[in-house]
Amino acid sequence: MSTSITRARPEALIIDKVTRRFGGVVAANALDFTVPQGEFLAVVGPNGAGKSTLLQMISGVIRPQEGEIRLGGRRIDRLHTEAINALGISRTFQTSRVFPMLTIRESIMVGTQVGLIGGGRTPRRYGPVTELISALLRLPGYRARVAAAEARAEEVMKMFGDRLWPRQNDQAFSLSYANRRRLEIARALVQDPDILLLDEPAAGMNPSETDELTDIIAELRRIRPGMTIVMVEHKLQVVRQLAERCIVMAQGTVIVDDTPAGALEDPRVIEAYLGTRRSAAAFGKVNADG
Amino acid sequence: MLELFLSQILNGVVIGFVYALIALGFSLVFGVANIINFAQGALLMLGAFLTFTMVRLGAPIAVAIPIAIVITTATGMLIERLALRPLQNAPYIAPLLSTLAIAIIFDAAAEMIWSAEIQAFPSPLSKYVVFVGSAYLTGVDFLIIAVSLGVMAGLMLFLSRSWMGKALRATAQDPEAATQMGINVPLMRQFSFGLAGALGALAGVLIGMYYMSVFPQMGIPYGLKGFAAALLGGLSSIPGAIVGGILLGIFESLASGYVGEGWRDVIAFSVLLAVLIVRPHGLFGNKSLDALGGASGATGGIPTTSVVASMAGATGRTKQRVLEAPLLVLLAVIALFALLPVLSGSNYLLQVGTQAAIYAVLAVSLTLLTGSAGVISIGHAAFFGVGAYAAALAGRNWGIPAEAAFLLAGIAAAVFAAVLYWPTIRLSGHTVGLATLAIGQIVYLVCLNWVDVTRGPMGIPGVQRPSLLLGIDMKSLTAQYWQALVVLAIAVIIAFAMLNSPIGRTWRAIREDRLAAHASGVPVSRYLVLVFLVSGFLAGLAGAQFAFLQNFVSPESFMIDTSIVLISMIVLGGLGNITGALIGGVLLAMLPEVLREFAEYRMVAYGAILLLLLRFRPQGLAGTR
Repeated sequence: MSTSITRARPEALIIDKVTRRFGGVVAANALDFTVPQGEFLAVVGPNGAGKSTLLQMISGVIRPQEGEIRLGGRRIDRLHTEAINALGISRTFQTSRVFPMLTIRESIMVGTQVGLIGGGRTPRRYGPVTELISALLRLPGYRARVAAAEARAEEVMKMFGDRLWPRQNDQAFSLSYANRRRLEIARALVQDPDILLLDEPAAGMNPSETDELTDIIAELRRIRPGMTIVMVEHKLQVVRQLAERCIVMAQGTVIVDDTPAGALEDPRVIEAYLGTRRSAAAFGKVNADG
Repeated sequence: MLELFLSQILNGVVIGFVYALIALGFSLVFGVANIINFAQGALLMLGAFLTFTMVRLGAPIAVAIPIAIVITTATGMLIERLALRPLQNAPYIAPLLSTLAIAIIFDAAAEMIWSAEIQAFPSPLSKYVVFVGSAYLTGVDFLIIAVSLGVMAGLMLFLSRSWMGKALRATAQDPEAATQMGINVPLMRQFSFGLAGALGALAGVLIGMYYMSVFPQMGIPYGLKGFAAALLGGLSSIPGAIVGGILLGIFESLASGYVGEGWRDVIAFSVLLAVLIVRPHGLFGNKSLDALGGASGATGGIPTTSVVASMAGATGRTKQRVLEAPLLVLLAVIALFALLPVLSGSNYLLQVGTQAAIYAVLAVSLTLLTGSAGVISIGHAAFFGVGAYAAALAGRNWGIPAEAAFLLAGIAAAVFAAVLYWPTIRLSGHTVGLATLAIGQIVYLVCLNWVDVTRGPMGIPGVQRPSLLLGIDMKSLTAQYWQALVVLAIAVIIAFAMLNSPIGRTWRAIREDRLAAHASGVPVSRYLVLVFLVSGFLAGLAGAQFAFLQNFVSPESFMIDTSIVLISMIVLGGLGNITGALIGGVLLAMLPEVLREFAEYRMVAYGAILLLLLRFRPQGLAGTR
């Protein structure tokens, strides 16, 4: 099933026969695949296929009812969302969840908080009371770590060209839809995650904004080739340009697991999307338009 | 022994039927409008007092009761129209505080109209007695059971058979779909408030007959008990409300029989808390308790748990103007106020000034918790009280010098806040307000009833002020004024340091979107405990200063009224804004002094100010942060 891309890379994320039902709907039906470290995996499929549920389960927002999810050999499907994040999995949401009243800079700094106090991937540096005292008295060690985090946040803001940096003191609610998505991605990136989960990052973006986002993610791949990315995306053009591997889901199961080019031409995929084989030509045309 | 047990059970079952009636009113409004209606108790009180008044004017009770029910029904509908419908798209704190403001206005108005005294309520049926072994049931008990069962059966039929009932249930399940089907959803919401009013009035009359008395402050405790019963039964079913009501009645009846009458309400509110924490969907319910009021869509499609986002006008994508003075300016203003004793020797002014400083500290403490971290606290007076009692007891019982008592009071209140509010971490939406209200009531009742330690309603007299500090005699009123200003300055410095640190930023992130905070790796519980500690510490300092100023501590200073005044202060100033908290705190602390002739209207004024603010200037005077 897996292709040559996956060879020789250690497995980062293992989805092991994971099932999740909502009432009578099976959103994930014994999902079973692995994501090697550093891979860019795209997950596509029609609405209701269970793509978002998959990301919700990996990030701990929803718990699977059966099966296991493992990160580097460690079982994570019973952990809290925040504990999973602290282990190096950062995510964005399908409906952008920014902190409306916080400024861009503040929002991104929230992402640095777990690194600041430690825990998860790094040794714990500050307990609640030591942090309270350090913050109250502005102790030098704490201040230095805050300053380093600020520098990191600035670096990430600048990655998005003039989209975020000049607006860094604007409150999130005042941002455009596309900028809210960028802000969410920035908040995840500032954590320098090992695994980045993107839930429809290009949704609601116009073609030029989509191209710009694609460039940013491609650039990110160049800077951090070791970062594993799992992206749910409806815009197949983005998938073709960025992903190394593409999983197509339908009704809670994986129907195709191939390279993007291979997967998107697969007749089973076309059938899942459009229902008939006859429409294959039309589907190919839609694909080309992105 | 067994006889006492049996008679307590019987008493519990009977009063439990009344709780079930109140519970149904709560469930209806919660189901249809998705808010917890704190004014339910006020409607209950209104129904009882209207009946009481008409009977006193010579009307037969059988005529008075239906008229009272009709008037209360209309009042319930009016409340929905005036205080809730305008807030349909407001953040969820708005409708919650709106019903709370109405409760407090009714409560205070009733005290002015009917006096704060307990009044004898006509109960013609209580002279008929039937013995059951050594226990007995009166005619009132039978009336309660018969009326309750009749009303519940009628309500069940109405909801399942009539068009109106079906429309009501459709609205509860999916307001958008109901609208598409041609159901007038706002009318259904109003109708549910009317029904809740009718049920409340009926319950009020039955309670009046059962205890043969009524009192203006009965609204809040009975409202809370009704909610406890509804919650216990699972909020969604009529049989659930009956079972919940009866169980609650039996619990508290046993408590009053075996522990003491004073502990009756402590047990009832503890049951409420326990259910909220352990089994928030109740014994039979399947509906998850997540009352967010009008929050959804409040911010133009941005998902948020913020109590302030749309208060600040965060829908229009325009920047709001916020007045936030720098720390040094605030400290300079406090220093200017310190000159007051030099300019005027008036003891009255100093007394008022010290009070205002204490309230300002409390407002700063509360705005960190409710404004910045988004934890709606309607029990904040509890930590004020813990601080005051700790300071008083430290000097009187343990001989700790008053200077050290300050620190002790702060730490005691911080620990209490962290421990008592810990369970609220898992709660969401309106239920946090409900839980904190219950916690506030429990702490007040414990102070009132734990006579061995607190001396109960008599209070603790002779609290010694700190004696000599840096060569200044701290016993004088002038010194107390300065001391209060120093406490205020310390509170402002701490609040500023916290809000401008990563910790304060994290609090605000948790307030704005808790799920996003979790997903960003923020250990949410840890930061909520930190805000409980800091907020509790500051409230404790205020409590100690209060004890020293008054030389006396008694439970009545820490009633729910105080908590609500504090909320009015921070909403007036602008949630989460220190400058705003100081302005709101000082203004509202001075209000009763400025309007001395109208001092008795104080609570009505606070309630009205809160109500008007929520409607017309939710961002407060200085703006939310």
